[in-house]
Amino acid sequence: MLTHYKLNTIVLRGLVYLLLFILLVITIVPIWLLLVNATRSTTEIQQGVGFLPSSHLVENYGILQGKGLNLWRGFLNSLFVAVASTVLTVYFGLMTAYGIVVYNFKGKYLFSNFIIILVLIPMQLSIVGFYQYMSVLGLTDNFASLILPTIAAAGSVFFGKQYLESVIIKDLIDAGRVDGASEFSIFHRIMMPIAIPGAVTMGIFAFIASWNNFFNAFILISSIEKYTLPMLVQTLRGDVYRTEYGAIYLGLAVTIVPIIIIYLIFSRYIVSGIAMGSVKE
Amino acid sequence: MVKFKRDHYGYIFIAPFIIAFLIFGLYPVYNTFYLSFTDTTLLGGDANFVGLTNFTRLFADNVFMKAVKNTWIIWILNFIPQIGIALLLAVWFTSLRLRLKGVGVWRALFFLPNLLMPAAIAALFFSLFSFYGPVNQFLVRAGILPEAMQFLQNQTIARGLVIFIQWWMWFGATIILLMAGMTAIPTALYESAMIDGANERQMLWRITIPLLKPILIFVFVTSLVGGMQIFDIPYLLTDGRGSPAGSIMTNNILMYLKFSSSKGHIGAASAVGVLVFIMTCICAFGIFYFLREKK
Repeated sequence: MLTHYKLNTIVLRGLVYLLLFILLVITIVPIWLLLVNATRSTTEIQQGVGFLPSSHLVENYGILQGKGLNLWRGFLNSLFVAVASTVLTVYFGLMTAYGIVVYNFKGKYLFSNFIIILVLIPMQLSIVGFYQYMSVLGLTDNFASLILPTIAAAGSVFFGKQYLESVIIKDLIDAGRVDGASEFSIFHRIMMPIAIPGAVTMGIFAFIASWNNFFNAFILISSIEKYTLPMLVQTLRGDVYRTEYGAIYLGLAVTIVPIIIIYLIFSRYIVSGIAMGSVKE
Repeated sequence: MVKFKRDHYGYIFIAPFIIAFLIFGLYPVYNTFYLSFTDTTLLGGDANFVGLTNFTRLFADNVFMKAVKNTWIIWILNFIPQIGIALLLAVWFTSLRLRLKGVGVWRALFFLPNLLMPAAIAALFFSLFSFYGPVNQFLVRAGILPEAMQFLQNQTIARGLVIFIQWWMWFGATIILLMAGMTAIPTALYESAMIDGANERQMLWRITIPLLKPILIFVFVTSLVGGMQIFDIPYLLTDGRGSPAGSIMTNNILMYLKFSSSKGHIGAASAVGVLVFIMTCICAFGIFYFLREKK
């Protein structure tokens, strides 16, 4: 009886590994092909599927440049918007969360439930009203319209609140008060260092969200020199590049390689952050 | 008295959020609702109050109904395999019987597509499935297809591909969420169930799934809200107009098309946003309400 059960377990385990392997192939092959094809020439790509890198990376970059696609500029634009958004999201997200966790003010629970509702509401659907309003203010085609709204990132406040509730030590705050520190310097000098792991997780998600954001940039930004990377991806889909496969793959690779590197470094933070964002109480 | 004053700092700490929310969050929502009752265009000129005209036009227009239908089909057909496979894998990954090796690595790899830029993923799959792309090359060489085919001109394949990409991007994230919920379930429950002679299937349906309810609701609602706004992938997979034959035209693509039409009819575009906003909120809160813990 016991050996039968054991045998079953071994067979089941083998089947599970087989299925996991198939899923892994499905997950990784498209990404691998993207990276490899960025280094292969268009001729090589047309000759057949290949899984090994080639030597045409620089050549592909030359083709992109030759057709007037300023990948480097797009990269810097994306980086600027993503870094600025990340700083605002993390700083104000933690500040708002700190306000909710540390102080007992009237309307605190109302506000904190309101944050949860905001997380669940499809705010992106108000983009048309947002665009029209930004154009009245003269902020369309301006990175500010992409960056400033991240001051009110409900998801980050929600995450920050969960995080602070688990790390804040009231005694430390009280000790700071006894030493005569102001409420803001307690937030900056005492709480911030404690909250660094949470801030890193919040920051990674804010950075990736901004880096990958196509829809808002597509609607709000119009001049080519301000295009972010996802907008350049859209340009790559155009007729000019129709037959330049190697160059297209390179353009796409530039958008995803930074994220893969971030993931390699911070995967623990990212995986635990995903889990933490959902666990309530 | 001193304490009372100190707690007022709470308002100061949340003030930047509230101000930014009023300016960049609430006012745009109000403005979108307002614009949806007008015939405003991007060309400027006089905007008139037109009542419900934008809405009645949308309901009379097959394209809107088709976009809503497509969006739902794409979401449902991606969500079922997403939650199904994620649940299966989460059960296997946490199984004490199987004791799989490298769970963290498998999980991290399955999650990777979720972090990548959807616009780039759409462009990637466009290239992979194009006429001269690797998928055609492979299928023809392997003798599965007699000759290369235009995958993206076939309605079923195009829609299937959008569904597949959505599944591909999201099943790993769902595994992580479900596993977080599962590890919070006390093992004592399973132990006592085993003593009572329960088998694995019974434990899954009687213990795991009921206790995962809060996480399942979270996954359900966030996926729905995201799914109703799907744009990047169907937009960049074909020509940006939901081709072939409008099979991957979604709510947000339609909203964008109204917005970017030659006249820039943002009144009509707002009406699309408003209707989808209301529909999504009703569904999201409906799920929340019906599935909540009743005490």
